Amino acid sequence: MSWIREEKLSLLERLTANILKAGPMPKHVAFIMDGNRRYAQKEHKERQEGHTQGFEKLAETLRWCLNLGIHEVTVYAFSIENFKRSKEEVDGLMELARQKFSRLLTEQENLEKHGVCIRVLGDLTLLPEDLQTLIAKAVVSTRAHNKCFLNVCFAYTSRHEIANAVKEMAWGVEQGLIKSSDVSEVLLSECLYSSNSPNPDLLIRTSGEVRLSDFLLWQTSYSCLVFQSVLWPEYSFWNLCEAILQFQMSHRSIQKARELHREEQVLQQMESDRTCVAEILQHRGNGKPMDGQSQQNALLNYSSSREERVRGFLNTLQHKRDAFFDDLSSQAVVA
Amino acid sequence: MASLYEMVWRFLHALLYLQRAIVAWFRVHIWRWKLAVVDLLLPLALGFHNQKKTGPKGTRTSRRVRWGADGRTLEKLPLHVGLLVTEEEIHYTDIANLVVWCMAVGISYVSVYDNQGVFKRNNSRLMEEILKQQQELLGMGSSKYSVEILKNGTNKQEHQVLSCQSMVKVLSPDDGRLSIVQAAQQLCRAVEQKEKTSKDINVSVLDSLLKESKNIPDPDLVLKFGTVQSTLGFLPWHIRLTEIISMPSHIDASYDDLYDALQRFAGCEQRLGK
Repeated sequence: MSWIREEKLSLLERLTANILKAGPMPKHVAFIMDGNRRYAQKEHKERQEGHTQGFEKLAETLRWCLNLGIHEVTVYAFSIENFKRSKEEVDGLMELARQKFSRLLTEQENLEKHGVCIRVLGDLTLLPEDLQTLIAKAVVSTRAHNKCFLNVCFAYTSRHEIANAVKEMAWGVEQGLIKSSDVSEVLLSECLYSSNSPNPDLLIRTSGEVRLSDFLLWQTSYSCLVFQSVLWPEYSFWNLCEAILQFQMSHRSIQKARELHREEQVLQQMESDRTCVAEILQHRGNGKPMDGQSQQNALLNYSSSREERVRGFLNTLQHKRDAFFDDLSSQAVVA
Repeated sequence: MASLYEMVWRFLHALLYLQRAIVAWFRVHIWRWKLAVVDLLLPLALGFHNQKKTGPKGTRTSRRVRWGADGRTLEKLPLHVGLLVTEEEIHYTDIANLVVWCMAVGISYVSVYDNQGVFKRNNSRLMEEILKQQQELLGMGSSKYSVEILKNGTNKQEHQVLSCQSMVKVLSPDDGRLSIVQAAQQLCRAVEQKEKTSKDINVSVLDSLLKESKNIPDPDLVLKFGTVQSTLGFLPWHIRLTEIISMPSHIDASYDDLYDALQRFAGCEQRLGK
């Protein structure tokens, strides 16, 4: 089954889509595609069949999203915790991933036509090596596309991602690129795997479970969460519309909370800069009390040099990450 | 065409808001009627069966016994419940009631959160209200629920903690992402001073650092009050496996509402990735 579906929406679906689009729409939607195994059990099918149908549903959902004007989707494909499942099931899932990513590589033309950029978020080193290479190839070959974005969380948990971001910042400190006082909420967000995407506006979890299961904990702090009881392989266009309606009804309050949080962030950064400047001045210890104007200047100087440091560090980090994928994808040519 | 779509959209949303308002109205009023009926019937029933009136102390004891028993009959009880209020209007008495019921059922940790920091700013008012409701609902007689207000020594902020059987903690967005950032800063400082290397940092190091500053287990259940479908910054690190149950409003919330949510929680099965 292909990643990209070209069918158009039916008339009724199109009408509904247009009505929904008259209101605020989410730009980025995240899915926890839960219920594949329960679906297989219900339909008396093989477990693997459930997962396969789950993938097909994903392709269909991507088409709906595109038709609804949602250009970024993040999905939870495989959690680090899922490695605890039976060997048979884990192997089956890895095989499915192999198939789908190989298939993806044969669909280059189509992906280019639609401008689909695929990113894989997670700790790839936990995966079998051949799969790592396949994934890296898919990521590298679609890197330049910029019309729609699909982020696949694979070998991912949010805590792992956050801990990894802290590790990267500590690495930056070790390399002398940043100081420990430069660590801030904004910087941490930029060090996550998801640094190139805006935070999701809407998170949908199917199959009636009401928890996040270690998915995008940081990024969805101020997102609309919708829990739906339908099993993922049975997800329909109308379920998606219902979730969007819920998003629209919460939209104003969430927007307000986000705004408040942003203001808080700016204040914190200013406070931290002020403390750092005060420390520096104390260190110099020339004892002269500074007037307001030169204090202001010192603060401005400090914050612009901090911003430059952080920019430099983030550039280096991006290069490091790109290089990781480049190396992996070129390995296959040798092999 | 676009304006037609917009009209339909507006109409649709007006209908949805109307439906929401009607449901909320019924919820409040049915509850009030129920109370009125119970008030009317209970004295009658007691009057018929028991000439000696038990009085308020008696009903308090029986209620307390019932709540405790409810807690024991549930298959599993959360260790830590977070009360997340997303509403603009806050009723302290209703929140205090919920906290006291949680304690009576046998929940060890209760935290109260709103994203604007209202509870944190009015910490003492909330604590007073909790004490008051505790006496009102549970009565003075029991030493089991005696409450001490402690200053939290480890933290520089003056969190007041009700200790003994249950602990109540007031949380704000500062305990969420910001506390992760602070932990990150602490680790980076250690790296800067060559006490640690970046390779030492992993999930468990960060987790233990974040546990230390909070001193409470991760919440297993969050009760989210209000129509806003979001956690609004509630402890992102800690809600990894938390069940999030939505309730329409904390205003006039009843013990039965809470008990229903606890029952739902008891029915949830966690597979932990398997």
